[in-house]
Amino acid sequence: MKTTLRFDQISCRLQVEGLPDASAGQASDAVGILTGWTLQWAGRPELEGRKEHLEALMTVVLPYARHLISGVTRRFGEEPLPVEIGPHPEGGHALLLRSSQPGTPPLQVRLDDAELADLVRVLDQLRTDARFKLPIALPAAQPLRGRELEQRTPLIQRVAAPVGGALALALVAGVGLLLPVPRPLPQQEPAVRSTTAAPGAPAKPEATTRP
Amino acid sequence: MPQATDSPSSPPTSNQGPRLSRRGLERLDLLLLVVEALDLNGGEAMLWMSEQLGFTALFPNRVELWKRRCTNPLRRTTRRDSLAPAESEALIRILCAMADRLYPLLRALLSTAEPPEVTQQRWDLFQARLAELMRERMNPRRGAVHNLLDPESGFAQRRQLIQTLALASGEGGVDRLRASLLDAAA
Repeated sequence: MKTTLRFDQISCRLQVEGLPDASAGQASDAVGILTGWTLQWAGRPELEGRKEHLEALMTVVLPYARHLISGVTRRFGEEPLPVEIGPHPEGGHALLLRSSQPGTPPLQVRLDDAELADLVRVLDQLRTDARFKLPIALPAAQPLRGRELEQRTPLIQRVAAPVGGALALALVAGVGLLLPVPRPLPQQEPAVRSTTAAPGAPAKPEATTRP
Repeated sequence: MPQATDSPSSPPTSNQGPRLSRRGLERLDLLLLVVEALDLNGGEAMLWMSEQLGFTALFPNRVELWKRRCTNPLRRTTRRDSLAPAESEALIRILCAMADRLYPLLRALLSTAEPPEVTQQRWDLFQARLAELMRERMNPRRGAVHNLLDPESGFAQRRQLIQTLALASGEGGVDRLRASLLDAAA
């Protein structure tokens, strides 16, 4: 018997339909074999697709959200994938959906931060639902490395310190080159030490004679 | 396979795992402070949520919860010790559950669908409440506190905190938030 899982947020609704995988001994309300899914947006065309499309949507959107939490905005989903997401040049986020139908142009949906959060929440609800048994390979959320975090600092701010240091070094070296080279001092004769004190007499201070 | 996420009903008891860095502690406490700025009864709600999630052994009362939060180096009265992994995990789960509860408010702040003046009023209210809490509890001589309190230059940072809470809300956000708090120092 077909099972329908529905997840609602203010701006979108995700509906997944499927059947339990009887060979894996799944419960009757489980979805182990996906027959279709739809994503309805308020005021936007409805999206639908197969398992690969749902997998691509989750593989692209969830890591994008993970990076956003760390303040890093970068594109996810290269050409062979049917879904791509990245920052929109005019603000918000651009979700690009490539159709598998030949000759159909890709559909671009612009989302604001609230709509993206809604989308992330419905995908989270789906993947954490105990009835959803479909194996979808999602990368685990990992801490970002320093190199990945560099992007959130503006380029000018990143290069300011090394460029400033190099300029200061060049300035000091230039000033150093302008100073005259010190001339060597004239050679001095070695000091003559007089030792005229008698044995037992108090020691006299050392005297030196100059020519 | 879908990512395995522990049930919130199973409290973390292990002290194994990475400890939060200084920056991670700062962010975790700032996010909890944002929750308090959004919810006037946030302090009480946090303690109630801690009990609901089964963390009474870690935070038996509000003083213990407050002491753990004082590991934030930006606080006026800061503690030099660090959070144990089980304590930081519990605070992360409390934060995600609180963000889930406050999601309609977070969403309203981030949405562009509503009239700009209504959104601006919401931001002004939030900023005033956050500034009040920060002046009360944070060290104003620290640059990070000063920047966040600045009405103009601190806006992007405050928006980032709200967006973080929205994307970390609920059970599914725990892994994302934990990973981001363990980020390398940039």
